[in-house]
Amino acid sequence: MTPNRLQCSVLDTPATDFDFVPAAEIAGAVTSGRASAVRVVEAALARIRERDPVLNAFTAVTEARALARAEALDDARAAGKPLGPLAGVPFAVKNLFDVAGLPTLAGSKINRDLPPAARDATLIERLEAAGAILLGALNMGEYAYDFTGENIHDGAAHNPHDHERMTGGSSSGSGGAVGGGLVPFALGSDTNGSIRVPSSLCGTFGLKPTYGRLSRARTFPFVASLDHLGPFARTARDLALAYDAMQGFDPEDPACADRPVAPTVPLLERDADDLRIAVASGYFKCKSGEACYAIDRVASALGANRDIEIPEAERARSAAFIITATEGASLHLERLRSRAKDFDPAVRDRLLAGAIAPASLVVKAQKFRRWYREQVLALFKDVDAILAPATPCTAPLIGQQTFMLGDVELPVRANLGLYTQPISFIGLPVVAVPVPLTPLPIAVQIITAPWREDIALRIAHALEAKGVVAAMRPASL
Amino acid sequence: MKKRKAKVKSAVKSAKKAKASAPQKQDVLDAMVAAAAQALGLPVDPAWEAKVKFNLRLILRHAALVDEFVLPDDAEPAPVFRA
Repeated sequence: MTPNRLQCSVLDTPATDFDFVPAAEIAGAVTSGRASAVRVVEAALARIRERDPVLNAFTAVTEARALARAEALDDARAAGKPLGPLAGVPFAVKNLFDVAGLPTLAGSKINRDLPPAARDATLIERLEAAGAILLGALNMGEYAYDFTGENIHDGAAHNPHDHERMTGGSSSGSGGAVGGGLVPFALGSDTNGSIRVPSSLCGTFGLKPTYGRLSRARTFPFVASLDHLGPFARTARDLALAYDAMQGFDPEDPACADRPVAPTVPLLERDADDLRIAVASGYFKCKSGEACYAIDRVASALGANRDIEIPEAERARSAAFIITATEGASLHLERLRSRAKDFDPAVRDRLLAGAIAPASLVVKAQKFRRWYREQVLALFKDVDAILAPATPCTAPLIGQQTFMLGDVELPVRANLGLYTQPISFIGLPVVAVPVPLTPLPIAVQIITAPWREDIALRIAHALEAKGVVAAMRPASL
Repeated sequence: MKKRKAKVKSAVKSAKKAKASAPQKQDVLDAMVAAAAQALGLPVDPAWEAKVKFNLRLILRHAALVDEFVLPDDAEPAPVFRA
């Protein structure tokens, strides 16, 4: 159960390859002129052609756009212009992000009838301003109401570590593309766990920032009061690089907080030994072998020997469940009336039920949410970070309906987010760190107080330096 | 904190006694789905009804857990409107 297939270095990789090379190294090579952006992009496009027929991570590849952008970047370097911290780094986005020229599918059949987006989402614009190069749009669960990565319109995304298994969802293509080495980083969304669940199942790092930290402008919503966007990457540094490039107030997202940018990359190397770290107990007490092993290993490496109870976490999950079903139903009400047969039945039937649920229960869930937030925020007076499992199990088989949690059999679709829902419910920042077990990885959540992404990333980086967490290269590659 | 926890626990207990939880009976669900579908203009195909009711039952089960948690009348919802 030790990492044995880690990241390559750009220096020991054939010049035309860049396979599994971290974003930071690619940016360094492009900035210094050791590699051209065009060559990096061509290599990434070749990998997509080779691996995506199996992984099914991409729904659109923006090849011409990417090559034009890479050429412009190489020209800028030749002219001595500054390139940005992500110079020449390929990335891709869940297909709920607006990409100019493409309809924003959000994993659906219905949205294929939308006109192409006129402008990129804010986060794409910010990443490209930092030198990154968009390669395309990624598969996802329909309208983001999914934890499995299955999609009846585009087909299931396949786990890079075992092609018979789920990627997790709903950011299924984001997990598969990064875990499978198609791109060094990708963007996804997380309403109840849709970044952390695929990160866990695909063995990548994933950051769900504080609610309101990153702009959601020009992305297709799901549950306005719970929707977050964030990056997937194969190192903690790459996660921080992407996150820092995307920070900043955006008046076009009403939920985006008007707070100063707080760079995290400069803080990564700070020692994590002085941090007070506890393990979530009670509801979060792990019950399956892999999740327990992962938590124990991470806690032991950090010297986290104290437990902490997050009060009423089960009720918090229930409240998140109600808000999701009803807010989601409200968003899709007209589509449910006019095009019900064009939905994935598994999504449609849950949305119809959400449309019928009484409003009084939703308001109660929102009142409970405030109470719960106060209780959990009080915990951060005594601790800097809390560890919890990301998923109750490693990747189930595609099509698998149930899994065992201890001696209880639970439906897969509703319960892969068992441990993520009570955290995103109050918008706390979380870094999911992959523990490289064999044959399948599983992640641990590092949860911090609002706006303290720097602490979670610092801990993730320290764990990576100790060799405790790592994004493994799949054995088949 | 401990006092508050105890207060919450006892409130939950009394709420449970009052049986304020949501309806679970099949005929009640049938009526809810039929009435809401008509009122909202939602086309619930007979072939989908069983799954819709299953999901509604699940929502109501989660809602019961939240409903039994007693909060003061002046408790504010999480999203706060600002003029």
